[in-house]
Amino acid sequence: MGYLIDPANWEWLVTGNNLRFLVDGFLVNVEIALIAIVLSLILGLLLALARISKSALLRAPAGAWIDVWRNLPLIFVILYLSLGLPAPWKDAYEGIVPGFFPEALQSGRVLAGILGLTLYNSAVIAEIMRAGIQSLERGQGEAAASLGLPYWKSMRLVILPQGLRRMVPATVSQLITLNKDTTLVSIIAIQEVMRHGRIVSSFGFFGGAQAPVLQVFLTIGAMFVIVNLLLSRLSRRLEVRERKRTGVAVERVTGLEDQVAAAADVT
Amino acid sequence: MSALLDVLRRHFPEFLSGFFVTFRVVAISLAIAISVGTLVGALRVAPLRALRWIGTTYVEAFRNVPLLVLIFISFLGLRRAGVGIGPWVAGTASLGLYTAAYVAEAIRSGVFAVGKGQIDASLSLGLTYRRTMTKIILPQAARTVIPPLGNLLIAMIKNSAIIGASILALPDLLKQARILQARTFQTNETFFWAAAGYLVLTLSATFVVRRLERRLAIRR
Repeated sequence: MGYLIDPANWEWLVTGNNLRFLVDGFLVNVEIALIAIVLSLILGLLLALARISKSALLRAPAGAWIDVWRNLPLIFVILYLSLGLPAPWKDAYEGIVPGFFPEALQSGRVLAGILGLTLYNSAVIAEIMRAGIQSLERGQGEAAASLGLPYWKSMRLVILPQGLRRMVPATVSQLITLNKDTTLVSIIAIQEVMRHGRIVSSFGFFGGAQAPVLQVFLTIGAMFVIVNLLLSRLSRRLEVRERKRTGVAVERVTGLEDQVAAAADVT
Repeated sequence: MSALLDVLRRHFPEFLSGFFVTFRVVAISLAIAISVGTLVGALRVAPLRALRWIGTTYVEAFRNVPLLVLIFISFLGLRRAGVGIGPWVAGTASLGLYTAAYVAEAIRSGVFAVGKGQIDASLSLGLTYRRTMTKIILPQAARTVIPPLGNLLIAMIKNSAIIGASILALPDLLKQARILQARTFQTNETFFWAAAGYLVLTLSATFVVRRLERRLAIRR
């Protein structure tokens, strides 16, 4: 306990560039998370639409695809991709990545991380979206059809706006999980916050005293808590605004892992 | 195809031992998660504000921190602080305490879902507090708690791979696959069988949970 509250250990964090180095690493995590979020939302919606399509030729493979990626450990997928992705893919990634991206994202290794995060999370989000769409009464689709709307128009104008609203809390919970999972790419040697934490804490003080590893990782944990709390606060505010605007409480659908959190926030 | 079967035939003992290490990690962590989670869930509905605050802080802290950070804190951080704990304790405690935050939320919402009217009704019928809990509240709460707990178990199986993949010297299924890959360079084959092992665990957990859910469902 004395070690934990020893002010010298905490002071070490703010000496020199230590804290800034950690924040720099954390920003890389945020950037990876943002890229993966955009990709998984797009791919997730496409997968969900395929999963509920009328054609069995589309439905069966989409279902199998979702079930496989959703049930494998994410870290397993990332490690496999980093070992198994063909080198030309990584080169192609290095070719198309924009120059203003930070240095850590320029390397082809990041492709495995982003691809793994996207494959896993798009499968989970597809299930959330499917539940949101299917939780609508069947009458909605039938009414749209009897009004003469073709499939795509009834999806775009009637089904999706209502269904997607229900899945906002579950999706935000999943995005928080995604944000936490960006730390996993440290295992394939991408220079993000966990790596920066290891680097910072592997140097000692002058005179041989050891760096305060515990404090370094507590600080990293605090960064994630702050960002994730902001995210869930934002989702709750969105929901309250929506309820005021439409006058009805949003029915929620639940996702996979963090659905417990989403469900508990209602009460 | 024959290469695939060949890898399994030659390295079956390694895969099997990794499979059981993963199984053991999940079993121990599940025990920690459920016992700590129940405790924290009780704190969150406690009549004292200070106790509720402790419960909320626990949940918000452990729910929003990456599991990998918890593993680093418990394995590297505590060691530097002079409290050395082994890989098994650090790994299962991290996974268990992390999941406990979610378990607490599941239990809290389960107890709330039963409704205050039921408690009032049962007490006014002359049942004691203990009989109210054991005969009225908990059987109904169990019904709403089982599905989320099942999902947490599945999430836990997947998260257990993080322990083996990070610094801990814990030879779980993923670790075994990595060792075999480094030895044989048959990336696709080794990872295929490890994936099969994980899918066996997660899909059978899904199956059991769905069965339980159906058995507990209210027939109308």
